[in-house]
Amino acid sequence: MKDTVLAYELQQVSFAYHPQQQILDNINLRITAGSWVTLVGANGSGKSTLAKLLGGLLAANAGKIYVEGTEMNQESITHLRPRIGMVFQNPDNQFIGATVEEDIAFGLEGRCLPRDEMVERVKRYADKLEIGHLLSKHPAELSGGQKQRVAVAATLAMEPGIVIFDEASSMLDEKARGELQLIMREMSESGGYTIISITHDAEEILASDRAIVLKDGGVAADVSPLELFRNQELLSSCRLIAPFRVRLIQELSSRGIELDPGQDIEEVSEQLCRYISSK
Amino acid sequence: MRDKLLFGRCIDTGSPIHRLDPRAKITGMILYLIAIIAVGSWPMLLVTVVFSIVYMLATRIPLKYFVKAAKPLWVLMVFIFVVQSLTVESGEVVLQIGGWALYAGGLKSGFIAAARMALLVSFTAILTFTTTPGLLNQGLDGVLKPLQKIGIKTQRLTLMMSIALRFIPTILDETHKILKAQAARGADIKELPWKEKGKLLLSLLVPVTVSAFRRAEELVLSMESRGYIVGAPRSEYHLLTWQTKDTWFVLSYVLLVAVVLTYRFI
Repeated sequence: MKDTVLAYELQQVSFAYHPQQQILDNINLRITAGSWVTLVGANGSGKSTLAKLLGGLLAANAGKIYVEGTEMNQESITHLRPRIGMVFQNPDNQFIGATVEEDIAFGLEGRCLPRDEMVERVKRYADKLEIGHLLSKHPAELSGGQKQRVAVAATLAMEPGIVIFDEASSMLDEKARGELQLIMREMSESGGYTIISITHDAEEILASDRAIVLKDGGVAADVSPLELFRNQELLSSCRLIAPFRVRLIQELSSRGIELDPGQDIEEVSEQLCRYISSK
Repeated sequence: MRDKLLFGRCIDTGSPIHRLDPRAKITGMILYLIAIIAVGSWPMLLVTVVFSIVYMLATRIPLKYFVKAAKPLWVLMVFIFVVQSLTVESGEVVLQIGGWALYAGGLKSGFIAAARMALLVSFTAILTFTTTPGLLNQGLDGVLKPLQKIGIKTQRLTLMMSIALRFIPTILDETHKILKAQAARGADIKELPWKEKGKLLLSLLVPVTVSAFRRAEELVLSMESRGYIVGAPRSEYHLLTWQTKDTWFVLSYVLLVAVVLTYRFI
């Protein structure tokens, strides 16, 4: 049943900022509710524009976008927007409130929620994202990773069904990037969110269910992450390098040792240890 | 750079002043402004200084913070003192050089004008030191609410002010980074003569302005994605409740204004 529910359906969607410069051309896509989809592609391939169209921040020049079965247009956007949350690239530029708690509450105030419910949600999602001790802090007192956690908490507090991460990890250090990925993984495993992430991070792509490759404003491939990393042509068109564990299992596979990429390098090394012990 | 910046920063000490309604504090500051403008004599300057120090101490924030808040304006204070001293010709002549004379009345008025400026800046810092920006925003919204009757969109004004306050440290940080980048390429502002310093600061304007516009654009996207609609009704995260202590606080300022005005005009 879950597989039949669509979070998004795009029918022949095209978009151009200027008539002579087509950014997206005739995009057809179906995204299942509860799945984690990554949009990949080289710079300028139209990923962020597509994210803005999916988030209702831009309107398509042609074609139709359906969100959970409802066509997105001027009339429906006000009702659809609460279903869609967006986390952007620069954690500094999406911090609206003067403190962490005010920033999380900003979207809730717009929904005219009663104060008690706002306080409860702010606390619940701050605890969930492990930023409960930072509620009274000014953004200038937070690290990039902490600010991005605030942005995720502010988005999740609005309880959307769809969350779009627009290169949300690209300005973070390695540790913060890993933490954000863990949050996305937990969100995906909870089954309560459809996640769409635009990323150049190979580990993030590998953690998702499906990779959509954009090239020259169109969909060049719609494959599983492993298929993407096995296809050198696609990889070079996206300017991507497969994660180490994928390259390792490919190398081992060429020598007749078949392993599963698993969730991380520890899982691969455990499989390898078991294989060696069995020989 | 942001560590040195006190403007807009709340220093939470849990004092009774911190717990007052922000609308009371804003009203108090407006009344204080009236009192400070009306101060024109030594006794009233003394009364205002004592009044100010009592409230500053009541915040439990070290006095040095208030002094620090006024420090960036010392050049302006010296300028006001010099101009007043040299232009007011009343009282006895204190110093005479050729055809030019310095009068006691000029010195007095210069000193009072500079003191008024220092008091105003350091005392109004009470408002930002004891109120979080969010509460300040709501307090301002409450105080400005009557203007809605004449068609002024006060919610937009207060949102703009709160975002401006929020972005001051960020933009200062960015300016600092650009200055460092320029210093790395040999244009260290500290070591340049005044004329070159001016040129360098002018060249900062373009990248800082471009970056501010870019930030504004991204902020708009973030606000829109969180369902912000200009002019749409919103609930309030901070609920303001006016209490008796707020009335007493405002009354103390009314008393100060009454004393200063009475002394001045009667």
